[in-house]
Parts: sequence; structure tokens; C-alpha cells
Amino acid sequence: MRATAVGQAELKLFWRNRTALFNSLVMPVLIVPLLMSVDADGVPLIVGLTGFVLLMAVYYNLVTTFVARREELVLKRLRVGELTDPEILFGASLPSVVVALGQMALFAVIVGVITGVALPARPWFLVVGVVGGVTVFALLAAVSSAFTRTVEMAQVTSLPVLVACLLGSGLFFPLSVLPDGVATVLRLLPLSPVLDLLRAGWSDGPVLRPLIVLAVWIALGTYAVRRWFRWDPRR
Amino acid sequence: MFALLGTNGAGKTSTVEVVEGLSRPAEGTVSVLGHDPFRERSLVRPRVGVMLQEGGFPPDLTVTEATKMWAGTLTSPRPVDEALSLVDLTHRASVRVKQLSGGERRRLDLALALLGRPEVLFLDEPTTGLDPESRRNTWELIRGLLREGVTVLLTTHYLEEAQALADRLAIMHRGRIVAQGTVSEVVDAYPARISFVPPAGIPLPVVVSEDGSGRVTVRTNNLQETLHELLAWAHAHSVELSGLDARSASLEEAFLAIAEEAA
Repeated sequence: MRATAVGQAELKLFWRNRTALFNSLVMPVLIVPLLMSVDADGVPLIVGLTGFVLLMAVYYNLVTTFVARREELVLKRLRVGELTDPEILFGASLPSVVVALGQMALFAVIVGVITGVALPARPWFLVVGVVGGVTVFALLAAVSSAFTRTVEMAQVTSLPVLVACLLGSGLFFPLSVLPDGVATVLRLLPLSPVLDLLRAGWSDGPVLRPLIVLAVWIALGTYAVRRWFRWDPRR
Repeated sequence: MFALLGTNGAGKTSTVEVVEGLSRPAEGTVSVLGHDPFRERSLVRPRVGVMLQEGGFPPDLTVTEATKMWAGTLTSPRPVDEALSLVDLTHRASVRVKQLSGGERRRLDLALALLGRPEVLFLDEPTTGLDPESRRNTWELIRGLLREGVTVLLTTHYLEEAQALADRLAIMHRGRIVAQGTVSEVVDAYPARISFVPPAGIPLPVVVSEDGSGRVTVRTNNLQETLHELLAWAHAHSVELSGLDARSASLEEAFLAIAEEAA
């Protein structure tokens, strides 16, 4: 596939970029004690780590990648080639996504073995949750990049999504402990349905509603990318 | 080859970006190889090569890696080594893009534009920032492509470049084409010039204009005749026309005259 040529080049760049390596490889490990301090182990720990990987390795990394390639005029150069627009974005996302998937699998296996988590009874919900989550956060990263002038500014422009999802999506505590009204609103955040689907892989839980919320986010994200994504530097 | 010239901010790059299919025309239609380059991008792109005025490569890739990446996106690419040797970058193959000089980056950009064996090539100021030798080499490369039958659309600031390479050209000023045709058609519309320091105290036989520097300039559509007249007159009066300079109109003069007229 043509887009993988861009993906391979991006992977080389990823290994040569210390900040990106730190954010996606070290940060999730640092979060483990934090999650354990709120008594997460077993399935909640796996779910929390997966959510965190989605935010750091997929979302945050891709915001900086898209901004960097745009400001370097790489996106503009790619756009006069044969690749279509979606192929360019897909290619540029590949390494972050592959690294993130690897991490999720690794964390799930390590935590699963140490704390003796049973195999998921409904693994397809895990797959849907992970694939949908990666898609949503790659799209959101593309949208955020449109409002980010420089790579440094990404630390600020990514905060709304990061903070909202870190605190409001049930990463550290189940949303059910919150008052009903608040929990209902927070279930609409983009990370919440992903975590719901992951939990549903192991135990019975709501599935239809998370699926709908996730689909709506993907549709919104796709629309927003088409509408706002910038291929040229902001000047 | 068709060359698009123009004053700064005349709209050359915007025009070329519409033709390349990067942006949609506000009105009118564009056709490249029989297709709309914006809506039928997938039909046009495999047959064209583009060198943007400002194109970028990831600074942390090497020259070879950047070229390989580009080759991976193309339908029928040349071998990477061949493309790099065309632009004389083989000796820089393992250097990171960020360590290249501006001229070397331009040549890498040209290599990528040539990588897909294009039938139509868009070159937006391809030799800006190149040293004289590289510029000559690039000209030779472009001449070779033209001989192979490649169609080239060139924009450039260097008028001698257009004069040396282009079959036809157009001059843009403030978004409009103000002159077009073959090089000689454009140039012939402008008079030749003779300039010299006039001898003191004798009325001259021709109409001259003064620019305050002590020299005078004669404009003529018949250089040989006017020059002969002037020299015969000087001979008859035994005066010297010091600093005598006679030249046919060049593209540069035509260009300057157009920019001046339009201003």
C-alpha cells in the first residue's frame, strides 16, 4: 500500500525524536503507580492504561506530528504527489498507532498475568473499542493540529481534550460514583465510550449507547477534519 | 516549455497552484492532460511532476530515505540512485536533509519531481538559491527533459533562464497576463537602445532622452540604421561618443518596460 511508504519514513522519524519516544513509551509507564494508588488493578488497570495510551501515544503524539509536518511543508509537498489526502494522514499516523497498539497489548498481557485477569469473554468489544478509540483520537489530533501554530503550542492546544478525558472519562474512577446528571454528560466525552466497550469485553455492561456515542464522535471528527484541517503552514 | 514570469506578488505561484490542482479556481476551468487537476487529481497526478516554490522534507530523514519515501508513493518511479545522480546529489545521499544547503534542497526537490517520470513538469523557481554551476547543470538537465518530450511549466525570477529555455512565455503583473508569445515576439515589441555620453556643444542628429547621469539614450526600432546614422555623424564632426553601448531589446528590458508601464 502506498501510504506505508510515508508510514515507514514516519517510523524512522519517530525513533529519532526523543520527545515523541518519551511521551509514548515512558509516560504510560509513569502513570501505573497513579492508577494503582486509586486501587485500580486487574481489568480497571488494563482499561485505564489503554485509555492513557490512546491519549498520549495516539492523540498527543499525532497533534505534534501533524503540526511538525505541516510547518516543515512536508504535508504540502506530499499533497502534490499521487497520494490522496486520507492516505497522507493515514500514513503519517501509522507509527504512532502501531506503537500504541503494541503498548496496549503489552500492558494487557503483563497486568493480566500478574493480577490474574481472566481472558475477556467478549473480545470483539475490545477490538471495536480499540479500533474506534484509535480512529477517534487520530481524527481529533488532526482537528487540534489545525488550531496549533507550532509544535510547542501543542502542549496548550491539546489540554482541553487531554484534561477532559483524563478527569472526566472514568480513567481513575468509575463514572457511576458521580451524580447521575454529571455522569450522563461525561459519558458523552470521546474516551468514555471506548472505556465502556473495553470493560464490556470482560463483564456485562452497556454497549449500545457507547457504540452510538463513539460513532457520533467519528462522524464529527471526520467532518471537522475535512472542514478545518490545514495542509499549509499558518501564516 | 512555457515560462511564466512576473513581478513580485503578480500571482505566479497562485496560478501554478491552481494548475497543479492544489487549489480550486475561483472561476473558469483548468485542464491538464485533458483532465481537471483538482477534481480528477488521481488521473492527473501519476503523469505530472511538481516542484513547489517551497516544499519540505522531514529534516531528520537522509536524502536517500526522503527519496525512497517519495518513490514508495508513486506508480512507476525511477530508481532512487538514478534520480539522485540526475541532480548531482549522489555524494550527499546519506546526509540528513536538515544539513543540506538551500541549493542542495532545491535539487532534492527537483529529483523528487522527476522521480515519477512525468510527462508534464511544474517547476516553481527551480534555480533560486543555486550557485552558477548548479544552475547551468539544472538548465542542461531541463534541456535534456525537453528533448525527451517532457512539457515544462516554469516560473522564474531569472529572465535569462526563461530566455535560454522557454519556447513560449507570458508575463504577469498584478494577477493579469500583460504580454505573451515566443521570446522574440515579446521582445520585438520593444525598441533597441543606444546610449552614450554626448559630446559637448553640438546638437545631436537623433532624439534622445536624458536620465541625469550624463548619459543619453536613443530608442529605436531599427538598431542598425540608427546606429549607422549616429556613427556617420560622429565621424563627420570628429567627435567621440564615449561609453557607447548599443543593444537589442532583451527579455529583461521588455520585462522592466512592462513593469514600469503597468505601475
